Amino acid sequence: MSHKGIGASIPRKEDERFLKGRGEYVGDLFRPGLLEVAFVRSPHAHARILGITRPIKGIVYTAADLAAVPPIRAQINLPGYRATEQPILADRKVLFVGQSVAMCLAKSRALAEDLSEEVGVDYEELPPVLDVADALRPDAPRLHEDRPDNLLSVLNAEAPIDAIAAAAPVHVTRHYTNARQAMAPLEGRAILAEWNDRADQLVVHVGHQNPHVFRAALAIALNLEERRIRIIAPDIGGGFGYKAPAYPEEIAVCWAAMKLHRPVRWIEDRFEHLTAGASAREISGTVHAHADAEGRILALDVDFAVNIGAYSFWPHTGAFEAVQAIGIIPGPYRIRHYRARSKTVLTNKPPQTPYRAVARPAACFMMELTIDAVARAVGKEPHEVRALNLVSAAEMPYASITGKLYDSGDYPASLRSALSAIDLPAWRLKQAAPRADGRAIGVGIAMYTEHTGISTNTFGTMGIALMPGYEQANARLTPDGDIEVAMGVQNHGQGMETTMAQVASEVLGIDPGRVRLLHGDTGLTPYSTGTYASRAMVMNGGAVAAACERLAERMRPLAAHLMQCAAHEVGFSGGRATGPGGATVGFGEIGRLWYKTPNELPPGVDPAGLDVTAGYRPEDDRGAFSYSTHVAVVAVDRDFGSVEILDYVVADDCGTRVNPMIVDGQVLGGTAQGIGTALYEECLFDASGQPKSVTLADYILPGPTEIPAIRLLPTETPSPKTRFGIKGVGEGGAIAPAPALLNAINDALRADGVELGAAPATPDRILAAIEIARGARAGAAP
Amino acid sequence: MPDIRLSVNGEAIEESAEARLTLADLLRERLHLTATHLGCEQGVCGACTVLVDGVPVRSCIRFAAACDGQAVQSLEGLEHDPVMEALRAAFTRHHALQCGYCTPGMLIMARDVVLRLPDADPARIRLEMSGNLCRCTGYLGIIEAIHAVILARRG
Amino acid sequence: MKPAPFTYHRAASLEQAVALLAQGGGDTAVLSGGQSLGPMMNLRAARPSQLVDIGRLEALRGISVAEGHVRIGALSTHAAIEDGAVSGPLGRVLARVAAGIAYRAVRNAGTIGGSLAHADPAADWPAALLALDARIHLRGPGGDRAVAIDAFLAGAFETAKAADEVIVAVDVPALGPTARFGYVKFCRKPGEFAEALGAVLYDPGSAQARVVVGATGSRARRLPAAEAGLAAGLSPAAADIAALLAPVLGNPSALVLKRQTAAVHRALQEVLTDA
Ligand SMILES: Cc1cc2nc3c(=O)[nH]c(=O)nc-3n(C[C@H](O)[C@H](O)[C@H](O)COP(=O)(O)OP(=O)(O)OC[C@H]3O[C@@H](n4cnc5c(N)ncnc54)[C@H](O)[C@@H]3O)c2cc1C
Repeated sequence: MSHKGIGASIPRKEDERFLKGRGEYVGDLFRPGLLEVAFVRSPHAHARILGITRPIKGIVYTAADLAAVPPIRAQINLPGYRATEQPILADRKVLFVGQSVAMCLAKSRALAEDLSEEVGVDYEELPPVLDVADALRPDAPRLHEDRPDNLLSVLNAEAPIDAIAAAAPVHVTRHYTNARQAMAPLEGRAILAEWNDRADQLVVHVGHQNPHVFRAALAIALNLEERRIRIIAPDIGGGFGYKAPAYPEEIAVCWAAMKLHRPVRWIEDRFEHLTAGASAREISGTVHAHADAEGRILALDVDFAVNIGAYSFWPHTGAFEAVQAIGIIPGPYRIRHYRARSKTVLTNKPPQTPYRAVARPAACFMMELTIDAVARAVGKEPHEVRALNLVSAAEMPYASITGKLYDSGDYPASLRSALSAIDLPAWRLKQAAPRADGRAIGVGIAMYTEHTGISTNTFGTMGIALMPGYEQANARLTPDGDIEVAMGVQNHGQGMETTMAQVASEVLGIDPGRVRLLHGDTGLTPYSTGTYASRAMVMNGGAVAAACERLAERMRPLAAHLMQCAAHEVGFSGGRATGPGGATVGFGEIGRLWYKTPNELPPGVDPAGLDVTAGYRPEDDRGAFSYSTHVAVVAVDRDFGSVEILDYVVADDCGTRVNPMIVDGQVLGGTAQGIGTALYEECLFDASGQPKSVTLADYILPGPTEIPAIRLLPTETPSPKTRFGIKGVGEGGAIAPAPALLNAINDALRADGVELGAAPATPDRILAAIEIARGARAGAAP
Repeated sequence: MPDIRLSVNGEAIEESAEARLTLADLLRERLHLTATHLGCEQGVCGACTVLVDGVPVRSCIRFAAACDGQAVQSLEGLEHDPVMEALRAAFTRHHALQCGYCTPGMLIMARDVVLRLPDADPARIRLEMSGNLCRCTGYLGIIEAIHAVILARRG
Repeated sequence: MKPAPFTYHRAASLEQAVALLAQGGGDTAVLSGGQSLGPMMNLRAARPSQLVDIGRLEALRGISVAEGHVRIGALSTHAAIEDGAVSGPLGRVLARVAAGIAYRAVRNAGTIGGSLAHADPAADWPAALLALDARIHLRGPGGDRAVAIDAFLAGAFETAKAADEVIVAVDVPALGPTARFGYVKFCRKPGEFAEALGAVLYDPGSAQARVVVGATGSRARRLPAAEAGLAAGLSPAAADIAALLAPVLGNPSALVLKRQTAAVHRALQEVLTDA
């Protein structure tokens, strides 16, 4: 057997079913007597519900029916945070367009929608608050009338930086905004819930990234013991964070399945997703950087606001974005004086929830555009200013000003590698030469370091409902000599059915093809907080290795017995147990001995069997930091305001790569989403809070013509903290494209006097910036 | 309720259905052929693409009643199609899928490109595939896989 | 979302289709490719109570060449035109326009007649066919009539077609050997509807010149002053085009004006430079 363990780019085991159209998503499940759900949703951003009229016929539920179901309430131990209460179906007020007000059930979705049109809801419209400034005005209408204002939380990292800032020779101030986005997995949320009397369980098939955590949410909502809930997350058509929280609709569906004792299904459609689910990335802020004349940043002062929408979501809470951003804004740079202040603000928009890399794209955006602004101020190339400020390899491990420990890596080398691949001097020449098509060329850089495998240490003090800790996996030998591994994370595109088998292969020397992975089912797997925060490979990879090692210990005496050698002489390779003098015995033999012919076992054998659960947590679990440099080259059409990406390079380091092909796929896919953030994706609302981008014709997802052939330059600096040196990679790609592309656009339009600080850089924004700069020049002219 | 007679993956089908039943819902909800996925119901994302009388169409915006007498092929019916076999192998080799949700529509469209445009280069393939959205891969593997099949067929 | 309920009729003949439309009143709709109706009905934004499917009518199919023009059956799909169903220089122009509409799987179903009847202000065919001086053939309860496209296009989603009329075919004048066509569609990504659109036909041989701006928010419009200049072989400056466009576009924002100016300007440059 050629090496198929850690480091091998073997093809994915899960591909075959998808390539034959045999994946099993929630929408592919059918049940006799199935009822489908359509929700009656609020047409107003802010209104009081005066009354609801039900149709004469048909199954319709409102808040009154769900009186026993408590509202969603998410707690976090942060000063100045107060939880919101989100009703499962709106009762007194609606706080965003698309909020669920009533639930209609019928034999088909079409019939359920017909029924929903017959529900009459009487509203008294209230003035909506949509942006942060509006929401913070003293006389602003309050969303939650039991609160003194529209603040969800205030989180500050105070430090005495004023003296240093004042003494610095160079000052740069910039304002930044990141638009609200939808996460837009191609499959929406989906759930089929049914009561199983034999198991005495509510069995819930749901597209959820964190089945065990979702079970806890349902237990609270339905007042049901966790043993009486089984969550099965089958194939999922993309998650990206969208399928990690507990939302009201899923809870309502489960409630109805219990109430009616019938299977009930709800499939979120694209319209629902782009209205009620428009929920990520809306952060704006001001950065003051104080630097020396060379461009060394002496002090950084940041003030930002998160437009969190109407409610704080369960389990992380809406305050979590600010926590993440404050911790990582200084990024890979040696910044020793830092102050950050943040407000998380409630508005009449859908509740914002974490999207791939949570607030880090906005944090990186603020930092990286500021670096370029400093470079302009000191008259240097942006890469020179970066090089000056980057934490060096010699400084590793590096304690950041926010208390994070950057475990390992060579950030300057990453920058050099990306730059040499792009050939900056050549682009600078092309940039200076006039082009036949009149387009302006620009090059932009962005770098980040990303806290992955976040676990107890990070969350410990926050007291949130989801507290990652010791990850477990179960491994067992089947009677015919293969391996089954059960894990509590959920695989939805990350390739874990392959990579976790590669970990097992690494430990046991067995072909990954003979390792079956069970996941996404609370009935079959050990507890896990699930798949999010770039943690699955780090944490669950370690757990699978631990379980396989413990299994190996159990197998060793049996193999020794079969080969008539000592247990310590037994090794594992080539899918067999090996002994002295070239003796080998197949796993099938071991399985046969244990399960089928135990009469042959020697006396005194350990009766524990070939089925073990073991756990993992890095001894120092402060996380492993992946890092990356993105460099983009763009051509900007000054008449249309459109941007073409001419080249895009990613120099990425996520430590040991279990399957380089899959890692590349994660980086490419993350980068593609980041390009959407940078140039295309924006949930627009009108002044009354009506969403305007409600189909994929209006909400533009980048397609094959918008994403270039991204060039990857991977390096591997194993983490000294984690098993195998793995760092997380699931989110990273999405962090840097917006700043890289905005920096490139600003570089291209430098002669026009344009410096954009708002993403996405849509044609409208670019043209408007050009026009404003032209006007400013004209106005300034004598 | 129109009675619809059509062939699906070579099999004669007779269904009576509400006029509003789309081809996608006929395949999925009635025939339980679930390779065909719904991603937007607006004809934009391409996940629901199937062949009707041999050419790719969006099954989400085509009424089943309008397909009376026609021959529909979904991914299930192309399992042994030689081009599809080559595409499947290439998709795996080039890591052209992650969550798998867009994959059936992607493959149906890719097959059309391979057969219709034997000279397509990667830029043309990108343009031809522009009506099929993938949220996971960043498209590179998809484009490379299709190109590889085109090159292999050129010999 | 799923469509609201409706009844479905497959028309056996053009006569029957027209009769059904006449009986059905305002909320009966013709169904051709369904590529505009389908999306709208899936949002319940369109809720016809009855669909009359004309998709199989032979009378609306086919492409024929007559004296001086090509007759394109209303059911001709964008894909068929893209693939060269119309031959010669005109065919190449039409193929280019068709190839820029939507995506292949949509083009395989969407029809030229449906696009004209739908009259989306940002659509391709209305603007392109206005530049090409097409005539629309209609059949109604009162019989046949033909309308010049300039008179056919009335506004956003509005045409001169009565609710009980069916588009049967489109006549497009053949192009002379010296004719040139410029077409610039600005959209966010391939397959999207236009945000700015310039279409120009120029035949120095016959001094024929038509300059059209599309994606106006209303109907596509000709720019007579630009046409006069072009007929004289003049290349107008961007500022002049902007001045012509501003009244046609009815108080456009600076951004819209800039983009539309660029689209028309580039389309003009295309016909004037690729001699
Ligand atoms: C994803 C997507 C992208 C698109 N992008 C573009 C684009 O870039 N540019 C563009 O121009 N279009 C675009 N379209 C629209 C497409 O071109 C449609 O095919 C076309 O507008 C309608 O043609 P149809 O045959 O499908 O008409 P249908 O949807 O069947 O009908 C449309 C309307 O016309 C009426 N009608 C249809 N045929 C006739 C007839 N013969 N006589 C009288 N009335 C009739 C119908 O009653 C209905 O009101 C796009 C569509 C989709 C789904």
